[in-house]
Amino acid sequence: MGTLYVSQADSFIGKVDERIHVKFEKKTIIDVAFIKLDGVVVLGRSTVSPAVVSELMNRHIPLSFIDERGHYLGRLQPEMSGNIFVRKAQWQAAGNTPQSVHIVQGFVRGKLKNYRQLLVRRQRESDHLDLAADITRLENIISAIDKTESIDSLRGLEGAGSAVYFGCFNRLIINPNFEFTKRVRRPPTDPVNSLLSFGYSLLRHDVQSAVNIVGFDPFLGYLHFDRYNRPSLVLDLMEEFRPLVVDALVLTLLNKQFLKPDDFISEPLSNAVSLTAEGRKIFLTNYEKKKQSEFKHPVMGKKCTYRESFELQARLLAKYLMGTTDKYPPLFIR
Amino acid sequence: MNVVVSYDVSEDKRRTKIHNILKSYGQWVQYSIFECELTDTQYAKLRSRLNKLIKSDTDSIRFYFLCACCHGKIERIGGQQPRDHTIFFA
Repeated sequence: MGTLYVSQADSFIGKVDERIHVKFEKKTIIDVAFIKLDGVVVLGRSTVSPAVVSELMNRHIPLSFIDERGHYLGRLQPEMSGNIFVRKAQWQAAGNTPQSVHIVQGFVRGKLKNYRQLLVRRQRESDHLDLAADITRLENIISAIDKTESIDSLRGLEGAGSAVYFGCFNRLIINPNFEFTKRVRRPPTDPVNSLLSFGYSLLRHDVQSAVNIVGFDPFLGYLHFDRYNRPSLVLDLMEEFRPLVVDALVLTLLNKQFLKPDDFISEPLSNAVSLTAEGRKIFLTNYEKKKQSEFKHPVMGKKCTYRESFELQARLLAKYLMGTTDKYPPLFIR
Repeated sequence: MNVVVSYDVSEDKRRTKIHNILKSYGQWVQYSIFECELTDTQYAKLRSRLNKLIKSDTDSIRFYFLCACCHGKIERIGGQQPRDHTIFFA
C-alpha cells in the first residue's frame, strides 16, 4: 500500500475505471489503482474531481492538503470510526487526572529519550563531536520526569529538554553548507528549519490518520493545551516520533549531501525558505523510505515499520485509557 | 494472492475494455498478460466484472495463481520491472 503525492501544480486529479488519473496540460502524468493506495496528499493547488472524492471516502482513504511551503492545510477524512468507548475513555481522562499525568509523562519521556538516543548515536559515529555535557543535561531532565506529577511542570521539562537538544542540533550537521541557529517556524527562514517544518507536516498527516483509525477525538490532547482547531492529541502522539522519523531523516539528507543549497528557494518579502520541486521529490522519497524501514518494536517484540508503529502507539494509548493495560509505553528505540 | 491473468479476445473494443479493467487491479507486463497482487475480495470483484463483460463462446481469460514461494522465483528478461507500490509521484 502506498501514498500518492501530487505536487504538480494545476494538475487535474480524475477517476478512470477504478484508478486515479492525474493529468497535467491534458497529458497523463500518473495512473494508480485505488487498491494500491492508503493515502493521497495534494501539495499545492490541484483540481480534484468529485468522483475521486467520493471514491476515496468510500474506500476510507484520507485526502490531505499541504500548501507549496509544506504547511498543513487540512484533510478530507472518511467517516469517523464509531468507537464511542475509546472517545469516552479519552474524555474521562481529560484534565488533571492520574491517567493524563501518566500519559503526559509517557509522551515527554519518549520524546526526550529519543532525543538523547539520537545524540548518543551521533556522538558514537564521530570522534570530534563532544556532546557529553548535553547528554548529561538531558539525562537529568529525563530522571526528573517520573517524580513530576503536575502537567504544567512536565510541559516545562519538555521545553527544557527541547532547548538542550536544539541547542546542539547545529553540531550534528556536518555539511558545511547548512547551519542551524534556532528553531524558526511560521515561516521557516532557513533551509534546516524549512526541512524540519515540512517533515513535521507530513508526520502530522500520518499520525492523524492513525488517531482517526483507532477512533480518538483528535482535538482532545493531554500535553498540548486545548485550542480552537488544534488537533492536540495528534501533536501529543507525534512527540515521540519527531526525533525518530523527521530529525533523523533531515540529518541524513543534509550530512550525506542528498540535498544541496540549490534545492532551496527563498521568498523575497517573508524570507520563507522552501524546497524546489526537485528537492521536494528527494525529501518525499526518503521520507517514505524512512516510514517503510523496519525496526523491532520494544513492547510488541516483533518487527514493524514506522508507518505501522503510528497506529500501534495509538492503539496502546487506547488500551491504557480503557483500562486494559496499566501503563502507556512510549515508543523508545535504543 | 498473486495472480497472472492472460486473455485472448478477438474483438478490439471488448479487449480494450478488459485491458482497462485489469489496469485497475495489476500491472500490465506483456500484451494480454497482467500480474496482479490481490486480496480475496478484490479477486472476486475482478472476476465478476470480467465475467460480465466477455462472450464465453469466443473469448477466454485465464487466472494462474502463484504461491508466495513461486512468486519469488519469477525470472524476468527485458521488459518493465515490477512497479514500486510504496510511493507515487505526480
